[in-house]
Parts: sequence; C-alpha cells; structure tokens
Amino acid sequence: MKPAEKDIALKISSISASFDGFYALTDVSVEVERNTSRFFIGPNGAGKTTLLDIICAKTKPSAGTVAFFPKSGPMARLTGMKERQIASMGIGRKFQVPSVFASLTVFDNMLLSLKGHKGIWDSIFRPLSAHDEEKIEAGLERADLSDKKGSSAGSLAHGQKQRLEIAMLLVQEPELILLDEPTAGMGKRETEETGEMLAQIKKSCTVIAVEHDMDFIKQAADMVTVLHEGKVLVEGSVLEVLADKAVQAVYLGRGGDY
Amino acid sequence: MKNKIKIRHFAFAAIAASLAIVPALLQAGLVDSPAVFFLGKCIAFSIAAIGIDLIWGFTGILSLGHGLYFALGGYAMAMHLKMNATGGNITEFMHTGGLTRLPLIWRPFLSPILTAVLIFAIPAALSGLVGGFIFKKRVKGVYFSIISQALTWAAYSMFIALSPYTNGNIGITDIKSIFGAVRGAANYMNLFKIFYASLAALVLVYIMASFLVERKFGKILAAIRDAENRTYFSGYQASRYKSFIYVLSAAIAAAGGAVFVNFNGSITPSQMTISYSITMVVWVAIGGRGTIIGAVIGAFLINLCEYNLSSGSMVDIWQYIIGAMFCIAILFFKGGIAGLFSAQIPELARRFRAGREEESEAG
Repeated sequence: MKPAEKDIALKISSISASFDGFYALTDVSVEVERNTSRFFIGPNGAGKTTLLDIICAKTKPSAGTVAFFPKSGPMARLTGMKERQIASMGIGRKFQVPSVFASLTVFDNMLLSLKGHKGIWDSIFRPLSAHDEEKIEAGLERADLSDKKGSSAGSLAHGQKQRLEIAMLLVQEPELILLDEPTAGMGKRETEETGEMLAQIKKSCTVIAVEHDMDFIKQAADMVTVLHEGKVLVEGSVLEVLADKAVQAVYLGRGGDY
Repeated sequence: MKNKIKIRHFAFAAIAASLAIVPALLQAGLVDSPAVFFLGKCIAFSIAAIGIDLIWGFTGILSLGHGLYFALGGYAMAMHLKMNATGGNITEFMHTGGLTRLPLIWRPFLSPILTAVLIFAIPAALSGLVGGFIFKKRVKGVYFSIISQALTWAAYSMFIALSPYTNGNIGITDIKSIFGAVRGAANYMNLFKIFYASLAALVLVYIMASFLVERKFGKILAAIRDAENRTYFSGYQASRYKSFIYVLSAAIAAAGGAVFVNFNGSITPSQMTISYSITMVVWVAIGGRGTIIGAVIGAFLINLCEYNLSSGSMVDIWQYIIGAMFCIAILFFKGGIAGLFSAQIPELARRFRAGREEESEAG
C-alpha cells in the first residue's frame, strides 16, 4: 500500500438519518480502507444497523453521501442507487437475523447468490455451468456445509444458517461485505472459526461489521468506530478504543458523562 | 426429489389420459354428453388454476381477482363467437341498447387471428400495467390482495353498466364453439374437436408451467416468497419477476376463460366476481399449492364434487362443505391433496416403519 495516501474503498460523508424527527445518525463521516475490516460498535440504538442499511440502500439518509471506490472502474455514489444495483457493484449484506431462502435447498440458496445473470431470461434459459457448480461446491466446502447441500435451508441450525448466509455473500464475489452481528447466536468455537474465515475474506474484500462480542472484535477488527447516540464517538484500533475514557463511560456507566 | 417430480408428472399424465378416452366413452354410451361439457369446463378451470398456482403457490402473491382475467379471456372469445353467429352484424342487445352500427371495440373480434391475440393481449396489458405499478411501489401481501379484488369489482360494475356493448349481467349468450355447434348427437365430431383442443391446451400450459418452475426462475419465485428483501440484496429485481409472473398467470387464466366459453356457450359478468375469483383460489389451496399438479387435481375434484353434490339434497349445504374443506386444508394440510401424497403419507409410512423397527429391536 502506498504510504502517502490511503487506498479507500468506502467513504461515508456527513450522513444523517432521521425518522419522524428522531435522529438515528447525525453527521457521521467514516473512511474505510480497502481489504481491511472495520467494526462499528456501540450501545443499542447507537445507529449501527441504520448505517449498514444506508450503505446498501435499505434506508435513505436525510443528508450526506456514501461513495464506493471499486477496484476497477469509477467511483460510485451509493446514496441514490437501488439495492440490486449496489449488490451488482459487489457489495453484499448479511442481516442480523439470518436471512436465507427457507424452502430452497442449501445448494439452491448458493445458486441464486452467484454473481451475475440476474435477469428473467437468463433465469429461464441459461443452464448451470460446470464452473458455477464448482464455485458453489467450493463455497459450501469452506462454510462446512457440503453434507447439507440437499437439505432445505429452513431446516438448518442457527449457526449453520449464519454460515450459509456468509457463504451466499462470498459466492457473489463481493468487494465489500456488510455484516450485521455475524457471530450472534454462535458458540465460542464457531465464533473463532468465523474470525478465521473473515481473515481469509479480507485478502480480497473489504469488511464492515456491526458486532457486540468483544473477543471477536479483538480477534477480527483492524479498525473500530464507536457510535453513540448516532454520532461517531471515537475511532481507532481496538486497543486504542478500549482504552478511551469516553468509550468506557458509554459502555460501563451509560448516561454518566454522556 | 427427482423421484417426486416424476410421480407428479405421472399423475398428470394419468389425468390427461383418462380425459382423452372420454369421447370414446361418450360414443360407447358410458357417459352422457352433459358430463363431457362439464369435463371440458373442468379443463378450463384447471388451466386457470395453474395460473393461480404460479402466482400464489410459487411466488406467494395472493391474487383474489383472477376471475377478471378469466372473464376477459372468456369475453374476447365469446365476442368472436358471437360475431360468427351474427355474421358480423350487430346483436340484438346492441340494437336494444340503441346502437345502430357495430361498436368499434367489437370490430377486432371479427378476425379470428386478432381474437387469438386479444385473448392474451388484453389481460396481459392490464395486469402488466397494474402489476408493474403495484410491485414497483412494493405494495405487498394483503394490500395487493385487496387491490386485486377492487379491480375485479370495478370491472364487474363496468361490464354491467356498459350493457349496450356487453349485454350487462345477462352476458354474451347463444354462442357455438370455435368448431361450430357442439350440442346434440349430430355434432359429436365438433364436440370432440373442441374437447381435444382444450385438452391439448391444458397439457401445453402444464408443460410450460412445470418447465418454468423447475428452472432457476422457479427457485427465484420461491425465494421471493420466502424472503423478498433478500432477493434484492442478492441482486434480483424482484418487482420485475413479480410483474412477469402476474402477467403470465393472468394470460393463463385468460386462456382458461377462452376454453370455458366454448363449453359453456355463454359468458356472464358473474365469472368476474370476487366470489368466483376466491373459488379459484380454493381449488388451488385444496389441491395443493406450489405443485402445479395440485392445481389441476383441485380444480377437477372440487368441481366434480360440486357437479355431483350441488343437486338434490346437498344443494343447500354444498357451500358450507366447500368452506369447511378450505378451512381444513389451510389449517391442517398446508400442502393440500398433493402435499398429502408427497409429504404427509410418506412421513406416516416412515414413522410406521421406524416404529416397527424399534419394536423388532426391542423384541
């Protein structure tokens, strides 16, 4: 990486979001470097999920812009784009509650997530190529779900659904993934494995995550942004942030100094 | 899975084959001609039911207004057949309504080719316009159902009000089939022609629908039903898929209506009422949603029951029976009759076997 200027993948500029006069986010600006992981932490209601929703166009901000810088191609303003356009730019989203297609098989869930060919015509007439099939198999292998290939996604255990959803993101070959509490409901071992998976993903992909699990954050986060009441409180490495007095106040004595 | 699909198609083949011998049975005197007309109507109903299964069973969009599209297809066909009957002259009801010349909207129906196009084009254009707007605005669930009902109701009122053009609530009557007169023993040949043509239409619609749902396309429909939001983030323009399936199912329902008219000899606005639309949904619910074959089974079975039970002592309670069947299917047999065979009976058999094995191990 060039020392002079950072290689920015995502630039969030002065984002505000209000719902019926209540400000979920106020003037939030964050820059995320390419192929790093950025974790947003903060108490409930700090606006973390809202921020992810704005990046992937699930929610419209009341002010501000989000700019995405793909590896190749010109900068794209995500604010104002449609969800599927953002998805086709290589931005994947994982929801807090695992969101998979319950009545389809695990294999078909992966099939629908493959990059490209999202039109009606292709969906009817384009056959599944051997290459596609390999990609799906490899993805399932990585997520340790190969033996569940033919089961319906709805019948999976919670942790397996989480892994399937992440595998679905990866088979989209994303450049940026947004994870909302990726380890929620996972045990210690599974959480660690997810951390290892993230380290792998980061080699080719920028990661933005919302997370509560401090051990996981310590393991997986390159940079942390603390949100509190819709504003950026502190930003820095995990250790810097945890040592910060204001952060301690927010987490330990809510409402004390802030 | 593969096996299950085959059984499904086998069941359909069996139904189609039994229908194919019906004309022979008529000639042998084993069935009477009203039964043949009735089965012809059942073919029409099952075509429409396949359309409803595509949008409701597979995509999870409950349309309570498909009677409108069924009737639009039926009216287009009936108008053409009426023109055949009058030789292109104005009809009596137009005359009574004060018209002196054939109205402009009737003219295209002088041509058989234009009629064939309009049977599909009118419902497709209407559903495309409505669906395109509604789904783009992401109107969902019960709101869509209500809009679909309101649309049917509006069209019903319009067809009644425009009686010089549509003959109001009497509808278009005294028409023959596209192959000419079908009533009476002298016209058996025509009846067989229209019967086989309708059966061919059903087979075609069945094959097309089965092909579509077994492709990736069908999986996307199921994905929209399961988690529509997710499909957008997976890069699909779900609203376009929904519009597409709405238009397709409307066109299929219209094909059903066009077939229906040939056997019924008339079309009335009662075919576009809300209750008629809901009845169609009931066929699919009882036959089994999301299976295609379930729609066909449901349409035949419910109408067969009605045919046999709605006369005589059962006439008063028939409506209650069908209501109860609907409730039972929705509450206890979500998969309907098709689900009974594909899931519940195998499950029972599996439990039974497992129970026996345990017993033998214990013993």
